Amino acid sequence: MFPKKTFFESHGSRNPPPEAPSRALEWLWQNLREVKHPHVFDCGPVQPATINVLLKRGAKLYVSDLITLARESDPKFIRRLGKTTTFLTDAFLENIPPIPPDSLSVIACWHLLDLLPRDAIPGLLTRLWSYLRTGGVLFCLLREPSLPNGAGTRWWLDSLMTLRSDPESKLPFPYPVLTNREIEHLVPGGNLKTFLTRSARREIVAIK
Amino acid sequence: MSMWRDKKTQPTEPHDVQQTAPPPPPPPASRQETPMNETTSRLSSTAPGTPRQTILGPSVVLKGELTADEDLLIEGQFEGTVSLEQHCLTVGANGHVKAEIKARQAVILGTLTGKVAAREKVEIRRSGHLVGDLATGAVAIEEGAYFKGSIEILRDEPKESPRGASPRSAAPPSAAPPRPSGTNA
Repeated sequence: MFPKKTFFESHGSRNPPPEAPSRALEWLWQNLREVKHPHVFDCGPVQPATINVLLKRGAKLYVSDLITLARESDPKFIRRLGKTTTFLTDAFLENIPPIPPDSLSVIACWHLLDLLPRDAIPGLLTRLWSYLRTGGVLFCLLREPSLPNGAGTRWWLDSLMTLRSDPESKLPFPYPVLTNREIEHLVPGGNLKTFLTRSARREIVAIK
Repeated sequence: MSMWRDKKTQPTEPHDVQQTAPPPPPPPASRQETPMNETTSRLSSTAPGTPRQTILGPSVVLKGELTADEDLLIEGQFEGTVSLEQHCLTVGANGHVKAEIKARQAVILGTLTGKVAAREKVEIRRSGHLVGDLATGAVAIEEGAYFKGSIEILRDEPKESPRGASPRSAAPPSAAPPRPSGTNA
């Protein structure tokens, strides 16, 4: 394996952000402690650190960078008719690699739900939910309601229970904030846990 | 081996590889930990320690079934199946491959679509673009590489205990790594 090289080292920055311990991840891995080889879907940008961490955990990984697609608001997912703009959820979901239904133990959504229009989220969550096995966990980050300067959208695992983010990925989010109540309605039959942090994000785990 | 070793100690003209094939005798450097800088990533196709290497040049467009008993560098376009059970496949920076691949090791600098089964290791370099499924002993993905698909690490599993045995012997996640992903082949 190559020496571990972080995003910041590769881009010449001397001050990588501090680790962010995640109580949600701590809960998640504790919940999955008996799963020897969890199947994990990472929706974020390809991050060597995340891949190394998860492979060392014994995971089988599915990877597709939905975050970048959503951040860049790729026009191929947007149809404009007059003043009406429609997000083409089905076209967006075609970017998910083939995953057997009921097979995943973890889906790492990161900030994906913050980056999509509201009408795209039910379809996305329904699809992701179908991949989770019973007891599987959907992990996502949601920004706090008032963040005038935006928040980081590019996160990765520094270890199983700690996160790092790229400050250069800090963007104002284009859509209204998702409340916990909305997420409860959107997750189909899920058991939801919210972990508040002092770092402008909520960490959500939804258990199937 | 240091990842950041002095570039001056390394050869600098990767194009010589194609013009002077078969490649020169291998230097004594280890082939196990290839540094990830640009110079050596371009040179990795020389595969130190390998006696021969076949090159499909940039103008080659080929479809079919390819089996070889030597390393292979694809700089052109290939579609089909590649079987190099004991050898290394390199998809060069200009290579476009759509194939099912079996090899000892695979290094992706160009574009590859398909399934890759590499017994030892798969490396996706910064310029690499891979869509497909990997089954390998270890994987190294460089920052900036594109990958969409699945990764499964091949493991030498101990023989199955009788069914119904408690799974509680599994290590807790805090002590989680059963072994480094690079050493479980």
